[in-house]
Amino acid sequence: MSKHQYAMVMDLNKCLGCQTCTIACKKLWTDRDGTGYMYWNNVETRPGLGYPRQWDRIGGGWKDGTLQPSPLPPMDDYGHAWEYNYEQRLYEGKKQPVMPSPEPQSGVNWDEDVGGMNADENYFFYLPRICNHCTYPACLEACPRKAIYKRDEDGIVVIDQERCQGYRYCIKACPYKKIYFNEVTGKSEKCIFCYPRLEKGEVNACAAQCPGRLRFVGLLDDPESPVHKLVLVHKIALPLFPEKGTQPNVFYVPPFNPPKRENYGKSILEDPRVPLDYLVYLFGAEVKDVITRLEAELKKAQEGGRSEVLQLLIGRDAETRFHVRPQLVQIQV
Amino acid sequence: MTDKNKPQKPFSRRSFIQTAAMTAATLALPGCSRKEKPVLSTLTGDFDPLRSYPYRGWEDFYRKIWTWDKVVRSTHSANCTGSCSWKVYVRNGVMVREEQAADYPRINADLPDYNPRGCQKGGCFTEFVYSPQRLRYPLIRTGERGEGKWRRATWDEALTLVAEKLLDNVYNYGPDTNSFFSVIPAMSPVSFCAGSRLAHYIGGVFLSFYDWYCDLPPGEPLTWGVQTEACECADWFNSKYIVLWGSNISQTRIPDAHFAYEARYNGAKIVCISPDYNASATHADLYFRINPGTDGILALGVAKLLIDQDLIDAPYVKEQTDLPLLVLAGTKRFLRESDLKSGGKEDVFYFWDTKQQRAVPTPGSMGSDQKTIQLSGADPALTGTFQVQLAGDKTAEVTTVFELLKKELSQYTLDKVAVRTGLPAHEIELFARELGTRKPAMIIHGAGTNHWFHNDLINRSFILLVALTGDIGKNGGGFNHYVGQERIWPEQGFFKLAFPETRKKQRFQNTTLWSYVHSTNKDPHLYNGKPIEWYIQESVKNGWMPLWPKNGKKPRAFIVWRANYLNQAKGNEILESSLWKDLDLIVDINYRMDTTALYSDVVLPAASYYEKVDINSTDCHSYIHPFGKACEPLFESKTDWDIFHALAEKMADVATRKGLKPFHDDAFDWNRDFTQLAHDWTGKGAIQTDEQAVNFILGNAEETKGMTYQQIQQKPLRFVATDPESWNSDIEPGVAYTPFKHQVDKKRPWRTLTGRQQFYIDHPWYIELGEELPTFKEPVAEKYPLYWNTPHGRWSIHSTWRDHRAMLRLQRGGPIVYMHPDDARKRGLKDNDWVRIHNEVGQCVCRLQILPGEKPGRVTMYHGWEKYLGFKQGGWQSLTYIKIKPTQLIGKYGHVNFRLNYWGPTGNNRDTKVDVEKAKV
Repeated sequence: MSKHQYAMVMDLNKCLGCQTCTIACKKLWTDRDGTGYMYWNNVETRPGLGYPRQWDRIGGGWKDGTLQPSPLPPMDDYGHAWEYNYEQRLYEGKKQPVMPSPEPQSGVNWDEDVGGMNADENYFFYLPRICNHCTYPACLEACPRKAIYKRDEDGIVVIDQERCQGYRYCIKACPYKKIYFNEVTGKSEKCIFCYPRLEKGEVNACAAQCPGRLRFVGLLDDPESPVHKLVLVHKIALPLFPEKGTQPNVFYVPPFNPPKRENYGKSILEDPRVPLDYLVYLFGAEVKDVITRLEAELKKAQEGGRSEVLQLLIGRDAETRFHVRPQLVQIQV
Repeated sequence: MTDKNKPQKPFSRRSFIQTAAMTAATLALPGCSRKEKPVLSTLTGDFDPLRSYPYRGWEDFYRKIWTWDKVVRSTHSANCTGSCSWKVYVRNGVMVREEQAADYPRINADLPDYNPRGCQKGGCFTEFVYSPQRLRYPLIRTGERGEGKWRRATWDEALTLVAEKLLDNVYNYGPDTNSFFSVIPAMSPVSFCAGSRLAHYIGGVFLSFYDWYCDLPPGEPLTWGVQTEACECADWFNSKYIVLWGSNISQTRIPDAHFAYEARYNGAKIVCISPDYNASATHADLYFRINPGTDGILALGVAKLLIDQDLIDAPYVKEQTDLPLLVLAGTKRFLRESDLKSGGKEDVFYFWDTKQQRAVPTPGSMGSDQKTIQLSGADPALTGTFQVQLAGDKTAEVTTVFELLKKELSQYTLDKVAVRTGLPAHEIELFARELGTRKPAMIIHGAGTNHWFHNDLINRSFILLVALTGDIGKNGGGFNHYVGQERIWPEQGFFKLAFPETRKKQRFQNTTLWSYVHSTNKDPHLYNGKPIEWYIQESVKNGWMPLWPKNGKKPRAFIVWRANYLNQAKGNEILESSLWKDLDLIVDINYRMDTTALYSDVVLPAASYYEKVDINSTDCHSYIHPFGKACEPLFESKTDWDIFHALAEKMADVATRKGLKPFHDDAFDWNRDFTQLAHDWTGKGAIQTDEQAVNFILGNAEETKGMTYQQIQQKPLRFVATDPESWNSDIEPGVAYTPFKHQVDKKRPWRTLTGRQQFYIDHPWYIELGEELPTFKEPVAEKYPLYWNTPHGRWSIHSTWRDHRAMLRLQRGGPIVYMHPDDARKRGLKDNDWVRIHNEVGQCVCRLQILPGEKPGRVTMYHGWEKYLGFKQGGWQSLTYIKIKPTQLIGKYGHVNFRLNYWGPTGNNRDTKVDVEKAKV
C-alpha cells in the first residue's frame, strides 16, 4: 500500500457523454506522434462494444493470485485514427469529397448511444474510463522490465518511459485494457492521473474540464476529501469489475435510467429499464444495495427533504469536488 | 507478498532471481541519479515497484508537456449559446491547447457555480487554427464556384475587386442589390459590427438570421412581445419540475446541463419529452417517447387537464394573461373601446368585473392611459357570456378568451391525446398533476419542437401551460427557450456601434422571405386554398414585410462573414441553382474554408477566435467576457474589424480615384459620400481599433457601465444592471436572472397589444386560418414515409467542428444517418451501410447507423455537415426546401410587426420526409 492514494469518483448520473474529458486528456497528453488512436480517457456507451472492443470479455487481472493475461487486442479493435485529405477538395480542384482514411469500420466511440434493449425498450448510459491506478496493479506485476511502479506518495501507477521496452505484457495483464502501445516511441503509455498537475495543486484535466461536474478527486485516506466520503462513509461508489482482483481506485456512482413505459412511480428494483443483472455484471452484487439507498435518497429529496449524500453529489463548486493536497503528498524523486 | 496485512490478496512478487534471469543485468547503485542509470540497464537489485522506484527522474517527461510561456483568455463564436471563457496556452509562439478559465463568479452560495464552462469542441479549437481548412491568404476563384480552384491574391487586389463591384452596384443597380449576411452579434459583436457598419454606410441590405435558422420561437413575440426571454441557466437549479421539451440538453447545452441534473438531487423531478431515447432522456424521472410532431396536442391535452382539475393559478391568470378579456361572439374580435363608443380606441380592451357586473377597460393595454396591469380591486370573470351595449345602441354578446379556450380544448380528450401522441393516458394525467402542483415548474425548450412548420402554435401551447400554472416570471419557473446565442446583453451599446445612424436608416430583410423569393423555391401546398405566393404578395403590399431589393430586382452582391449561409440553407440545392447563379459577386470572410467559402468568388482570411479582440455574451448566463489575442492573426489573416476597415478605406480610394459624386439614397434622404467612407466607418476616426470598439459597446450600455476590455480580460464580470428598454427584469445581486419580474412583481404591462400575455390573436389571417387561439395542427403533409430529423447535436456547433479531425475521430469519421432497427430491417439495411436518402427535392448518400433509441418512422442526421465532407452525393440540406407559414407574414398588429430577428417567417425544416435505400457505391 502506498502512503497515500489519490482516487476518483465518477457519478454516472451526471455524465452527459460529451467527451470533454476525452478531449481534455487527448489535447494535453496524447497529441504526439504515435498516440493518434490512443485515448487514456475514453467515454463508452454501456452496454456496448467498449474501447478496445470487448475489453471486458477478453481477460486480464488476477485469479487466485495468478495473472490472467488476455490476448493483445488487434488495432482494429481500437479503431484507427482517421486522416483526411482536405487540400485536394478545398484548394486543388479535385471533385472527390473529403473522406476518412482508412475506411471507417471501428472506432473509439463506434457504438455511441446504441446501448441495449430490455424487452422493447432501449437503455444506455455512459461509462467514462481512465486507468484505475489499482492497489494491486496487474500491469505492474506483468512487466518483465519492472518499468511500472506505484508512486508511494500518492498511489499513482506510471510506466517509466525510459525503461519500458514495449513488451506489452502490461497490456495483456490489465483487465481494463487501459494501457496503449506507442508504435513511434516503442513504449507503452497510459493515464498518469495528471501527476504533474496534482503536484502543483491542479486537479486532473479530465476532472477539471468536466462540464457535467461528475468527477470527484482526492485522497482516499483524507477524511475531508469527497472521495473518502463517497466511497468509505456513504458507500455509494463502486469500482468496476471488482472480481478482477486489482482493487481499482476509480469508483462509480451507479446509474439510474428513467422507468420503462407505464412504470412511472415504481421502484428501481421493480422492472427497471436497465436490467439489474447488467449493473451487477459491471459493479458487483453490492450495486443492488447502493441503488436502493440512492433511490431512497432521491425520493427523500424530491418529497421536499434534504439528502446529505445528494447534496455532496451536487458538487456546487470545485472546492467541494476536488481536494488536491500537494502539501500532504511529498514527491519522492 | 510485500504487504503482510493483505495475505489474501492475489499479488505475488516475483523473486529477484526470476526477474533477473529474464534480462541481462547491469549493476547500478541504489539511489543513483537519473543520468548515471545505464541506458540498457535492467534490474540491478531487488526493488519493489509497489513501494519504491529508483529511477524517477524520467517523470519530467510528462511534466514538461504541461508547460507554457503565456496564457491568454479568449472564447469561441460559433453560435452555440455557451459563451464560455477559456484560457489559451501558448508555447514557443504556438497555441498548444486550451482549458476552461473556470472563474465565473458565483451568484450565491446555494446555487452551483458556472464552472467549468465549456465543452469538448471548445477544448480542441487550437487544432482548427493550424488545420488545412485554415484560410491563410486572400483567394480569388479561378474555376467554377465550388470547384476549389483558386489563385492567391494580395489584399490590395482582392479588396479592390470587392470595392469596385459594391460601388458599381450602388450607382448602377441601387444600394439594395448589395446584401450582407452575418449571424448572432452576441457571440462577437465587434466582428459583426465591422460589416454591419459598412452595410449601413453604403445602404446595403442587412439580412436576418435568428428567424431564418428557425431559432426564433415565434410564439414569444406573439404572446409576450419579446424576441426571446429565458432565465439564465443557473436558475434551473431553483426549479422543482423541469420539463425538457424539444431540448436535448446533454447534447446541446453541455455547459449548462449540470444545473438540471443537480436540481434533481436538490429535489426537482425531470421529465423528458422526445421521440428518441437520447442522452438527456437517460437522466429523466419520466420519459415520454412521443410521436414526432404531436407535442402540440400533448400540451393542449395537459392544458385541458389543468383546467378540468382546477390546477390553475386563477389570480395570476386574471392579472397576467388575456384569458379574462372579452371577445365579440360574432366577429371573434376582442371587444375594443372603438366598439363601444365612436372615436374610441382600437387598443383598449375589456374584462368583465364580477364586482361591478360590467365590462371595464383592462389597464396597461397599448392604448390604456394606465402604465400598470394592477387590477386595483377589480375581479375579472374568467368564464361567462355577457351582453354589452355597443356604439349605435346595438347590444352584442361577448364572452371571455378563457371560455373560448375551454371550448377549443374540449376536443383534446385524454384518450384522443394518448392515441395521437402514443403515450400512456395515466402517465399524461400524472404529468399534468405534477406540473400543476410542483412549484416552481419550468419548460426548457429547444429546436426539437421549434423547427416544426407550426412552431408558433407549439410555442403558444407550451407557454399556455406555465401561464396557467402561474410559473412565468418566477425564479425556477417559466418557458425557457434556448436556441442560438440571440441575446446581446449590452444591447444599446451594440446597436449604436452596429447601425450608427440608428436602425431607422438601415435596410433590413427577413432572410427566409429573401431566400424564397430570390430563388426557384416553390412550396406546393395551399393554405386555406391559396398558395403561399398570394400571402407573400399581400404581406409585402400591406407593408407588413419588407422585400429587398425593390421593384423585382435581383440581389447582385452577397457578403458573408461569421456564417455559413449556403451549407445551412433550407433548399440548399435550389438556392445553388438559382439565387447563387444570379449573384455576380460572393465574398466570404472566414478563418476556415467552409462550404460557403468554397462556393464563393473571393475569400478573405480572417483572424481565428484566438487572434482577435472582442466580447461575448449569452442568454444562458449573466456575464461578459472577452476574446483575446493569444497570437497575432496567423499568416496573412486580419481581424474582421481590420478587414472591413480596410475595405472601407479601399472603397473611399476607389470613389476618390473615380471621382464619384455622392449618391443620394432616396429611401432615407441620405447623401452618401463614399470618398468619406473610412472616416464615417471609424466614427470620424474615434473607433480605429477593435479594443476601442469593445470599449464603445461597454461604455454605451447600462449592463456594462464602467467596464473596460482590460478588466474583463482579467475575469468575467456579471452585468451590473439591465436597461429597462431591453429587459423585463432587473439583474439583482445574489439572484439568478429570470425574465418578466417587471410584469409579475412590478405589474408593468407586457409588451403586447393587450398589455398581457396574449394567447388570443385576433388578426384577420389568424381568424381565417383558425389560429386565433393555440390549437393543434398536424405537420405539413408530405408523401414520403420517414421524417427527416436534423437536430443540433453534441459533435458540432452547426457546421463548425463538422470537419474537425479530432471530433470526427470520436464519431464514425463522417456523416451518418440514424435509423431504428425495424426500419432498417424492412429495407434490408445493415449498420455502416452506404445509403441513399431521397425525396422529391433531392438526395444524399452517406453511411447508416442503426440506433435502437431512434423512433420508428423517423431518421436523424445531426445537422451541419459540410457538403464537401463524407457525402458521396448531396448533403443534409439537399432534401429540404423553404416553407413559409402564412401567419408569420403578418404585421401592423399591435406588437406584431417586422423587426430584424424579432418577427418574420421562420425557416422551419422538421416537417420534411424522405425514404432511405441501400446506395450503389
